[in-house]
Amino acid sequence: MLNTIQVLCSDITTLSLEAKQFASYTEADIISTVEFNQTGELLATGDKGGRVVIFQREPESKNEPNCQGEYNVYSTFQSHEPEFDYLKSLEIEEKINKIRWLPQQNAAHFLLSTNDKTIKLWKVSERDKRPEGYNLKDEEGRLKDLSTVTSLQVPVLKPMDLMVEVSPRRIFANAHTYHVNSISVNSDCETYMSADDLRINLWHLAITDRSFNIVDIKPANMEDLTEVITAAEFHPYHCNLFVYSSSKGTLRLCDMRASALCDKHSKLFEEPEDPSNRSFFSEIISSISDVKFSHSGRYLLTRDYLTVKVWDLNMENKPIETYQVHDYLRSKLCSLYENDCIFDKFECAWNGTDSVIMTGAYNNFFRMFDRNTKRDVTLEASRESSKPRAVLKPRRVCTGGKRRKDDISVDSLDFTKKILHTAWHPAENIIAIAATNNLYIFQDKVNSEVH
Amino acid sequence: MLGKGAKRKFDENEEGLEGKAVLVGEGPSKVSYTLQRQTIFNISLMKLYNHRALTEPSLQRRVLINNMLRRIQEEFKQEGSLRPMFFTPSQPQDNSLDDGYREAQPAFSILSSIAQPLPQPSSLTSTTPLDSCLTPASLLEDDSSYCTSPVTQTVPEPQTMKPPLTLITQTAKDSFSSALDEIEELCPASTSPETAKAEMPDPRIQSSPLPTPTGDCKDSGKVCPQKFEGLVTQETKVAAITALESRQTDSLSPSNLEMTASSGFLTDLALDDILFADIDTSMYDFDPYSSATGGASKIAPVTADDLLKTLSPYNNQPVPPNQPFKMDLTELDHIMEVLVGS
Repeated sequence: MLNTIQVLCSDITTLSLEAKQFASYTEADIISTVEFNQTGELLATGDKGGRVVIFQREPESKNEPNCQGEYNVYSTFQSHEPEFDYLKSLEIEEKINKIRWLPQQNAAHFLLSTNDKTIKLWKVSERDKRPEGYNLKDEEGRLKDLSTVTSLQVPVLKPMDLMVEVSPRRIFANAHTYHVNSISVNSDCETYMSADDLRINLWHLAITDRSFNIVDIKPANMEDLTEVITAAEFHPYHCNLFVYSSSKGTLRLCDMRASALCDKHSKLFEEPEDPSNRSFFSEIISSISDVKFSHSGRYLLTRDYLTVKVWDLNMENKPIETYQVHDYLRSKLCSLYENDCIFDKFECAWNGTDSVIMTGAYNNFFRMFDRNTKRDVTLEASRESSKPRAVLKPRRVCTGGKRRKDDISVDSLDFTKKILHTAWHPAENIIAIAATNNLYIFQDKVNSEVH
Repeated sequence: MLGKGAKRKFDENEEGLEGKAVLVGEGPSKVSYTLQRQTIFNISLMKLYNHRALTEPSLQRRVLINNMLRRIQEEFKQEGSLRPMFFTPSQPQDNSLDDGYREAQPAFSILSSIAQPLPQPSSLTSTTPLDSCLTPASLLEDDSSYCTSPVTQTVPEPQTMKPPLTLITQTAKDSFSSALDEIEELCPASTSPETAKAEMPDPRIQSSPLPTPTGDCKDSGKVCPQKFEGLVTQETKVAAITALESRQTDSLSPSNLEMTASSGFLTDLALDDILFADIDTSMYDFDPYSSATGGASKIAPVTADDLLKTLSPYNNQPVPPNQPFKMDLTELDHIMEVLVGS
């Protein structure tokens, strides 16, 4: 067994880069979500232009062992279009907020994608044969003149070039007044939930005209509103359990067996505020931007502005581990508030064995924390450091005092380059990093050589 | 939302304050704490009211900002005085902060760009308080680009108000704005204690190092909210009133004087109403002026003079009661565009 963190520190290599990176990009090209499917064979990204791009991992090639495992574009489609809310007189962005894959049950793949309001179920399927020789239709599908049909034949399937078809199967609309921030497929594979700022709805995947409201924190009077839902996820095994996070830094675990409306949580995870760090921004930086169950279902991973925390489902009063992502920003909070960066929603991810966690930061940096060795590393997703097959060098942010070569000072961090969305392959050490309009896929080197 | 380029400078200026933020003690640290609090308060207000995007703003962001404002308001209340004193010491510090603040505020650059073509009458350069009056007046023009208010046409014109007013009447000529005028008449804007509060700072300008006497709105604009707002003690209020009175005798009504002297700052009611008014569709039968200013009932009959006065020394800080109305009109504008365009 490899020492994971060593792999992470020194042996991560760039696997592939998206082709469009060199052109100047538009707002619509900015990647807004990244998600592996359950096997890791497919990787989907969504962008602000409402497009979904699916990458597929190439099967191993015997001639070029190094090329094993590269992800190439498999299919691209327009998932959402911009709309206009005539009641509110506001535009509804086409930006894809989240993508979730359904567990594969047949040859086709299914995924859910959502923008602020509408969730769509897409079927992604392959076709490499086409029927030929119909009796009543010609090659283009037009009806033949019956008088020309003089003999009967048996239609046959002929091989053709592989074609990937993406088709919309369900559209789940009109159930969210506020912005959808999360969708999560239940382990029963039949239902999923969608969470917006104030409510969580439960859907059946086959039924689009009805959903059940399972959480509603909207106060009778909106003036009393002080807290919003920021993320929600189902437990990986127990289909009755789900968790949602709030802008006040709390996590609520709910059991749908308790009652139909889960306004009363089963467990409340909350860490008391550290009085020594209290400031005007305490509440804002404690707002949870992402929550993820561990693969084992035992732990929860949360990201707030400055830290990632691991919670044990059996301990509610404090996290079992807290990792500083970029503590040097603590003295910059006023500026970060002023330029709105403090509201950035960073996501977080577990590796396949729940032993390493990953999350993004500014300046195209992302961070990894080994839970066993307590070692951490800062890596950079940039074109220079990420030439294919190149090994990533750890980066270091210097916070005053002595500055080593290659260190970058806090003041020169680029706050427009932020890594908000990351994903980890469900089983292997392959990670996908979305940096503005670029997608970086890194793989640990040892892994690729062993194969 | 805010320019990235300006950020770093602001950083440097803010850093010192940030470090002291934890120390809520006596003396200088208390001053910087109050200063920082005021800065954050102003930034927060600006964030809430300067949103002009076409898409729905993030609820989470607004809730967090609102909580911040509530917290600071709570502190104001607990401290008894609405506006704690922090003006007297450390003038240079204020200035440096102002520089950063100015650069960081796109809203002001909008203002200044609007203000550039203004004629610069010599009368404005001679009297300092008028200079400060000019700033908000230009903001009034800014308003006029969204909603030209009928008020501006019916205003009894004090000398000093002329340049901005002429500009406004120019912009008020298109037919759509006249339609808006009608709408505006349906929901009369009231001066509330909150808005009255915003005008108190001006007289302070007299005692301060002025920006260049060119009437540069950007400069005076940034000075006002930062330095003077909330520093007003009872004496200066009186000074303010007399100063105003001497120059705007015609337009200044006694009721407004009362308000100025006894105003509360941003009552919960007003703040909250505005904050979430535009979230629900119910906002469309929501009249921000009747319900947003419960505390303003004593000044119920609102005259054009009142509105002018609230708008004119308006300090670039978005004044709550005006804002939702403005947003409504922007939206209306947009609908009209869509309807006409299609």
